[in-house]
Amino acid sequence: MSFLSPSAPAPSSVMSMLGTKCIDKNYKNTQWYWSRGKQPCKSIGDFDSPIVEEQMISANHIIFSFQIPIPKDGYPLDYSRWQQNLIAMLHLDILYDDEDEVAPDAVMTLDARLGYSNRGDPEGQWTEYASSVEQRHLDCCIEQKKPGYMYNCSHVPLFELGSLHHDFYLLNVRLPVDMLDTSEKTGMNTKLGHINDMWVAFIHQNGGFTKVWVSLKTIFFPIIVAIMVWFWRRISQLSRPPALLEYMLMVLGAALTLLNCPLEYLTLAFDCPWMTVVSDIRQGLFYASLLSFWLIFAGEHLMDDIERNRIRVYWRHLSAVLGGCLCLFIFDMCERGVQLRNPFYSIWATEIGTNLALAFIILAGVCAGLYFCFLSYMIWKVFMNISSKRQSLPAMSSARRLHYEGIIYRFKVLMLATLLCAAMTVIGFILGQVSEGQWTWDENIKLEYTSGFFTGVYGMWNIYTFALICLYAPSHKRWPKDQNTQSSTGEEIEFSRLATEPSEMSSLTAFTKKSATD
Amino acid sequence: MRFGWRREVAGWHLLTGVALLLLCATISATGKKAREPKWWSIAKIADPSNLISNHIKSNSLTDHYLDPAIHRILRKKQRRLVRENPGVLVAIAKGARHAVHECKHQFRNRRWNCSTSSSNRSKRLFGKIVSRACRETAFLYALTSAAVTHTVTRACTEGSIDSCNCDYRTEGPSGLDWEWGGCSDNIDFGDNFSRLFVDAGEKGRDPRFPMNLHNNEVGRLHVKSEMRKECKCHGMSGSCTVKTCWWRLPYFRRVGDALKDRFDGASRVSVKNAGNARASNNRQRNRRRKNTRRRRRKSFALLKPYNPDHKPPSKKDLVYLEDSPDFCVRDRKLGIKGTHGRECNKTSIGVDGCDLMCCGREYHTRVIEVHERCSCTFQWCCVVKCKTCKYKKTTHICS
Repeated sequence: MSFLSPSAPAPSSVMSMLGTKCIDKNYKNTQWYWSRGKQPCKSIGDFDSPIVEEQMISANHIIFSFQIPIPKDGYPLDYSRWQQNLIAMLHLDILYDDEDEVAPDAVMTLDARLGYSNRGDPEGQWTEYASSVEQRHLDCCIEQKKPGYMYNCSHVPLFELGSLHHDFYLLNVRLPVDMLDTSEKTGMNTKLGHINDMWVAFIHQNGGFTKVWVSLKTIFFPIIVAIMVWFWRRISQLSRPPALLEYMLMVLGAALTLLNCPLEYLTLAFDCPWMTVVSDIRQGLFYASLLSFWLIFAGEHLMDDIERNRIRVYWRHLSAVLGGCLCLFIFDMCERGVQLRNPFYSIWATEIGTNLALAFIILAGVCAGLYFCFLSYMIWKVFMNISSKRQSLPAMSSARRLHYEGIIYRFKVLMLATLLCAAMTVIGFILGQVSEGQWTWDENIKLEYTSGFFTGVYGMWNIYTFALICLYAPSHKRWPKDQNTQSSTGEEIEFSRLATEPSEMSSLTAFTKKSATD
Repeated sequence: MRFGWRREVAGWHLLTGVALLLLCATISATGKKAREPKWWSIAKIADPSNLISNHIKSNSLTDHYLDPAIHRILRKKQRRLVRENPGVLVAIAKGARHAVHECKHQFRNRRWNCSTSSSNRSKRLFGKIVSRACRETAFLYALTSAAVTHTVTRACTEGSIDSCNCDYRTEGPSGLDWEWGGCSDNIDFGDNFSRLFVDAGEKGRDPRFPMNLHNNEVGRLHVKSEMRKECKCHGMSGSCTVKTCWWRLPYFRRVGDALKDRFDGASRVSVKNAGNARASNNRQRNRRRKNTRRRRRKSFALLKPYNPDHKPPSKKDLVYLEDSPDFCVRDRKLGIKGTHGRECNKTSIGVDGCDLMCCGREYHTRVIEVHERCSCTFQWCCVVKCKTCKYKKTTHICS
């Protein structure tokens, strides 16, 4: 996977745009204002322009227009469907004025409309995609309170599109104020200070990254499906019903298959705004099943001779996973789910929404903490049992010894593999964050690392799952019944679990046994 | 011991004097006095809004399209650049105006207050002071170069120049590039364009050539280093597994402030061997873009600190060759207006204080009545309601 990464570009790129200030004394919210092409809007360079005074322009007559993408190299660019999604972040340039400061809790009201157009459409024909009146908190600070200096305002999210289906987009944003002659005084957009410019950064996924990503999925999808079919056939050949661990492996495989399914091909033909929500859910399902698998795997290797093999025994542990995932799911539906209806919606825009979102995230965090406590406790217990069993191993009968050795061996293998994968993921993530944070203009060298990290991690977990299913599949070899077990009557009772197993051990255990007997 | 050391210093002064004399000799030897780049006066001629209307009127962008006044002040290479990048002329004109405005702001409290000639008759914008290779000149070069970088980048971001490059690093069909990996930041274009356009205004024969190139580069570098990074997390459920960052263009005041700081700490240099610069420049003239980098490095290597004990100037330091005049009295030869009639601050101990501003001369104190707007209410963008207040103000004016 990583071999693909040098050719893959960064996962996403940005087109930052400065709004053109269109003016129209007779603003109508059915009309579009664009800055390039035939019949562009009437615009002004800045608000000090003499036109403003001549024509008595007020805030209600000003429309910030963003026509994307911007032409480059003298060539009108258009968005490709490979570019998947579009996120817009807005920031304002506000000049300091000692008589007109920005209120610390200023709220801006945006009247935003998003339209689209395609190649082949007549020029100037824009179709409305979404429109909304939204409120956003303005968070501004300033170092030197001197006239002529600029506030340092943080950016606010404007909209998120789950699919980039059309070629051209046009965004019209207004910051309306109450008309001076009306009696209604809502105080809308009054404490924003001296707005000078409006910038919007449009983030989209890179087509190259999507291509590499989708091809990875296309490769892994059939492989994992094939291995699952093989695994299930092995299991159905057994005389016993499948064990819990085997069910878990199937669930893990199914979740990964769902994640691998290259649904992205659909976006090339259809408008699928639900794609980000679906991919969030798919990822969430995979993480949930992976975390549950680790829990159950540790539980099934406790070797404390308690009959488990049922999902109900693990309800306490699994509820942590489920609770966490549910919280994230609800949060996701509140944010990205609502965005399906209104792309301009943001849960962070309102006080209640922010608190709600934070509550869900904190709850999910608590669940994650609980989960890790459970898991570490279980792993610790397994290791305690292993060391106690180790000491009594020489005294055991050979079948019993082999059984425990097999368990210890396969637990350790998984432990090692899991730790390795997790460590690599975490290290990669940290390196990515650090390299992103240190990137400045002064050093000009930029290592493109993120897409390598993503593809690498994705491939690694695929291989991990593949290996798990492969190695923990039951052996098809019949294991000869050990005669000794019958003779040693003293261990009969403790053997109840073991007695059914010797003939149907996993291939890995069988392999260890074989090498042990050799 | 101490005495001997002092004598050494005196010796240095003597050397300085000799070096200055030699420098003057070389300047007079070339026959021409160094003048400010002609393109600067675009700030005077062209009203950006006029240029826009001209731009819309004529679809064909030939040489004839250019206003004759502009045609006169641009060199051949600059004209070509303007022709190849429609819309860029407006940005350059705006940039020149920003530079003038910023310079006046930064130097409003100094003896030299960045006075510009407004009359159309004189060819120069900042006057004859530029003919002297002093700190002020260094600042002007850096500021104008920074302003062009800034406004061209801004124009790209606004979408008013079509020919901004998508990416300088990879070459290939532009459509594919964009779809595959997006576009690089517009500052890359602004920076490169400014390098081509502004540096084209310099002549290799000029002994000040390395200094000017260096200061131009300092200006561009400051625009870049004042950029601020913004990031957005948009991974699974909005987590930071995927983070995208972009650069925000600084407000030009920040660049002006940074350059003013550099002005205060500018380093005096001398040019190692001006003859070499000319030769290398001529040799490389044909190979264009690749060379700008090499040319820059070469010009940089030609500068050495005037005082050998000092560190060589860094990439971000402004450099100058001659000491500044004191700007106290009117000097026609250098186009200095002097500080006669300037307002000063009686309580300040800085350069705007009356002692320093008036160069020890006397100053008059007057009390005048000022009408100013007060207790204003604003409504963005443009509605201001104010009262007019009258109050008395004491001013001090240098005689």
